[in-house]
Amino acid sequence: MPARRVASAANAFGLPAIHALLLASVVGAAATVPAFRTIDNLGNVLTQAAALGLVAIGQTFVIVGGLIDLSVGQLLGLTVVLICALMDGHSERTVPALLLAAGIGGAIGAANGWLLNLLRIHPLILTFGTLSILQGVIFATTDRSIGAASPEVAWLANGRIAGVPVALVVLALAAFGAHRLLTRTRFGQHLRAVGGHAENARRAGVAVDRVRWAAFVLSGLGAGLGAVLVAGRIGSGYPNAGQGFELDAIVAVVLGGTSLAGGRGSIAGTLAAVLLLAVASNVLNLLEVSSFAQMFAKGLIVVVAVLLAQRRERFAR
Amino acid sequence: MTAPTVAVASRRRSVPSLRLAPKYAIWGVLVVLLGIAALLSDAFLEPVYLANVVRQAAPVGIAALGATVVMILGGVDLSVGAVVSFAAVFAAIQMGGRADNIGVAVVSTLAACTLIGLANGALIAWNRASSFILTLGTSLVIYGLTQVYSGGTARGIVAPGFREFFNFRLADVVPVIAVALVVLAVIVEGLLRLTRFGRTVYLIGSNAGAARIAGLSLTRTTLAAYAISGLFAGMAGLALLARSGVSTTTSGRGFELDTLAAIVLGGTVFEGGRGSAAATVAGVLVLFVAFNIVNILGLNFNLQLVVKGLIVIVASAIYFRLDRDR
Repeated sequence: MPARRVASAANAFGLPAIHALLLASVVGAAATVPAFRTIDNLGNVLTQAAALGLVAIGQTFVIVGGLIDLSVGQLLGLTVVLICALMDGHSERTVPALLLAAGIGGAIGAANGWLLNLLRIHPLILTFGTLSILQGVIFATTDRSIGAASPEVAWLANGRIAGVPVALVVLALAAFGAHRLLTRTRFGQHLRAVGGHAENARRAGVAVDRVRWAAFVLSGLGAGLGAVLVAGRIGSGYPNAGQGFELDAIVAVVLGGTSLAGGRGSIAGTLAAVLLLAVASNVLNLLEVSSFAQMFAKGLIVVVAVLLAQRRERFAR
Repeated sequence: MTAPTVAVASRRRSVPSLRLAPKYAIWGVLVVLLGIAALLSDAFLEPVYLANVVRQAAPVGIAALGATVVMILGGVDLSVGAVVSFAAVFAAIQMGGRADNIGVAVVSTLAACTLIGLANGALIAWNRASSFILTLGTSLVIYGLTQVYSGGTARGIVAPGFREFFNFRLADVVPVIAVALVVLAVIVEGLLRLTRFGRTVYLIGSNAGAARIAGLSLTRTTLAAYAISGLFAGMAGLALLARSGVSTTTSGRGFELDTLAAIVLGGTVFEGGRGSAAATVAGVLVLFVAFNIVNILGLNFNLQLVVKGLIVIVASAIYFRLDRDR
């Protein structure tokens, strides 16, 4: 199995498997698909990856904390609809829209975290509930696209600075901050402790509830900021904009080597997985593979990656 | 010697009532909702209307019955929606609009869906992979395959007689499809309560380690549970086809979450080891009665989603309280 060989070769160099897979897929795509190599296309890949990247970074915090957040897709959709309705194409409303996006994202995330601590129900069930509520709110608000993104928001999503996509800069900054937060701060340390064994963390004096709450706030923020990029890309408040984002984000986090059981994970891994998914979908698009077959391919990637990860974990034990 | 015995005995006497509370709470909720619905609309409690609610609930209910077995085992099957879609499309194409194809179409559809479930079970049993992420992956694979198979359009044609049979009203009241839900619920409940397989499912769900030490086969039980979930998702697909007559490749989208909602409403917990088929049916009915109340009130149809989310969260919270106090 080539993937396995790549993985073991990567391990020899101390690289996590997902980075090696990403590298292999980029090199393979560049070698075999000429259209992939163009600067324009590479820019497209990165632009498309950025929104999912932000959502997946937020999801990484939640999953490292031993939780899960299914509500991010619909949260992103709701935010897209509301900020587009607010902007309606006006430049001067860009800043209020950005604040609104961060505000909704953070507030819904905070509500999720607060309810989790209050009700003590399984996070999968809780956020499934909020997913359903948010979806209902979106479609009770509108069943068609409303409003329009301002030129500035469109620039954030599609623009380039000296050839570098702005969205990539946004993603890189967010990833850098998130990486520091997860690895270099007391919060990150506490989050990993809570995800690894909540009871032990509690006994060690970690404020478990507050840490979990903060993880959900970060996840909500990721969805809110991702919504800005999605709004800029589609240009209007499309109510279905967030469909499937939650599952893609979870897939990326898991592919990136973060354990669904919690306790460990890496932003760099998540980022690599997001890029891998973007490269795969881009290459399949260039090869004019139907979207159905792409879905099939994505499913296979998930299944194979999960099985490989399982093997790795067993060997590590 | 006597004092502790009395204490134990009295505790024993008090425990069952508390333990039964969450088990039957969902039926209480159902009765309350039916009462509210009856207050809002005179027509609601008429047999035909009630039978219609059960008919509406049948596809989700049938899928939820199979998924309940997996949940009790301590897993989760998120491929249900994909399998339901696959079954509807596959059966319609196999029928090709001809009545004499019905038998072959039904049998081959159910066989294919059971195989899909078996494949899920095999991947999970032999790799100890997380069922959540794994069935998420297989659901994408199945959606993709279904679309490639059908060319992305509603290609098949439902055979004449198929829909008529399932929607036929016994005694002019109860549609066959509603009866099917009840019969299947009885079968699953029996399977869980009365068979060795059923007891093994509960045991593994509550303590997999102990079950393994006791010599129970985790692999075989896991395979069987996911195969049952696949089979029931297949039957749900047929029920959906019979109810709506539509075989689009995404007809089952959202089923995985609706079944999850129903199962959780029924008191089955994520950790496994607890739950019942009857409670799952009650959970499905609660969902659909609630949806009907939203309609009766003349509220925006989409508020059904808000109601669904709220009931799921509130019910889970109540179960958690009842559980902790026990």
